[in-house]
Amino acid sequence: MTARLRGGPLVLATPAAAGLLLFFVAPLAAFGVYSFLTGALYEVKPPFTLGNYEDVFAGNLNGKLARNSLVVGLLSATVCVAAALPMAYWLRYASGRRRTVALFLIVASFLASYLVRIYAWRSILGENGVINRALEGVGVISEPLGFLLYNRFAVTIALVHIFLSYVVLVLYAALAPLQASYLEVAQDLGAGRLQRWRRVVLPLVAAPALSAFLFVFVLSASDYVTPQFLGGTNGALLGLEVQVSFIGTGDYAYGAAIAFCMLASFVVCYALIALGLRLTRLDKVRFAT
Amino acid sequence: MSGGRRSPLAGTFTLVGLVFLWAPLALMALFSLHATASLSFPFEGFSTRWYAQVLDSPEVRSAARNSLIVASATAVGTLVLGTLAAYGLTRSRSRLRGPLTLLFFLPITLPGLFLGVAMLVGFRRAGLSLSLLTVTIAHLVYVFPFFFMVARAALARLDPALEEMAMDLGADRFTTFRRVTLPQVWPVLVGAACLAFALSFDEFVITFFVIGPDSTLPLYVWSSLRRTIDPSINAISTLLLLFTTLLFAITVLLASWGERRRKGRTAEAPLGLVPAAVERAG
Repeated sequence: MTARLRGGPLVLATPAAAGLLLFFVAPLAAFGVYSFLTGALYEVKPPFTLGNYEDVFAGNLNGKLARNSLVVGLLSATVCVAAALPMAYWLRYASGRRRTVALFLIVASFLASYLVRIYAWRSILGENGVINRALEGVGVISEPLGFLLYNRFAVTIALVHIFLSYVVLVLYAALAPLQASYLEVAQDLGAGRLQRWRRVVLPLVAAPALSAFLFVFVLSASDYVTPQFLGGTNGALLGLEVQVSFIGTGDYAYGAAIAFCMLASFVVCYALIALGLRLTRLDKVRFAT
Repeated sequence: MSGGRRSPLAGTFTLVGLVFLWAPLALMALFSLHATASLSFPFEGFSTRWYAQVLDSPEVRSAARNSLIVASATAVGTLVLGTLAAYGLTRSRSRLRGPLTLLFFLPITLPGLFLGVAMLVGFRRAGLSLSLLTVTIAHLVYVFPFFFMVARAALARLDPALEEMAMDLGADRFTTFRRVTLPQVWPVLVGAACLAFALSFDEFVITFFVIGPDSTLPLYVWSSLRRTIDPSINAISTLLLLFTTLLFAITVLLASWGERRRKGRTAEAPLGLVPAAVERAG
């Protein structure tokens, strides 16, 4: 009987494993090889070269796009985590019915279409949008405010809207083991409000909050659709350059090189955060449930 | 609940957050019923003309049909492959478990942009021409980790004694799975398949690269966004929002029903389905 239990059932996982090797790992490897080949129109050719990577770092444009990506990514991730923390805390201690309603609204908005949100923000911030029309209607302004749309601010606000509910859900799950009694004990031992947050709540959420931060940062910095519709020329991000290389100019090798530079920098961010958590010993915080 | 830990400040924050999340969507739903094309107050009357325009458009219909085909194929495919994989991994003690689990989680760590372009390169190398089939394959890779995480958690929670008893009484593995395991977990699995359907139905970032000449609803919305401000997008968007909310409500009901059947008590686990999935994603 034990012989049947061992190893056998794993066979059931082979179709999925084969599928992922064939359609995920292999394409990714081919993609990596592409970045070292010579690009032709929608094609790559044999001589191996580092030229694509040299091209990535040569232009001024990529520097500007990388800065934009960094700013927008950091800003969206910071705002999301900072706003999600009190929301998750409230959800943790809210009473039954209110919590269920709030949770339903948050999860339902989490599932709301990505393009629909981008469209909604464009119709709010645009020259003929809700804000400008309202201000004109009241008579505060006579010309539409052009600075609302087509910049990094517009991109950031839409990205925060897209990722906020996700971060709330992650932090809510992280706070689940936080019994009210822990905070009461800390209070009885003389810890003030600030100290209770710093010594009890923060250690518990540090690792999940940072992983959510990284998640939002990576997805925002690599987004190509939001900047396309809300960013204009000032709010363009690096992801757009990858998209254009694959769909517009057809320079696969160059596009692959940019993509791998982005991936490499994300991996560095991940390593830095993991290292920071280990040094501050926040990576192994566990509360008894 | 655990009283005495409510913070009015956090409560205000939550309210502001919820308004921020829902106001843009509510405005859009409101303007989808506007009689004129303008996005301004005061309202110039209600009308369902944008909905009529959307529902009559052959482009929208064919895009919606394609979206339904791809999302259904993705949901069914993930349900089968993911259940097999999660069952195999939770019931095995092989040393390959670790590497396989990593492989099953991996696609979630890669932003859609990279997944999309890598798959475009892969399909071209393999000589597959871009079609709804390539879109479905890409969606399967994309949603697999989400389904796998939920399915694995549900299967790992089960009491192993029940399955062992069935096998000791002479049932083979398949019969045990069908008669003992499946009745306990199927609502969660179907709920997770609904989540897979919703994710696939809305997917744009990856789809854009691997679709070829066909169109899906997100692709249609994208191309209308490129053209100009078209008020019928409000109507499509509202319909999409209603559809995903409905799907989510079904997921919650199924999962909560399954949870009650399993535990005999009402748990908040169903609403935790998505948080649990995203927590492990992060």
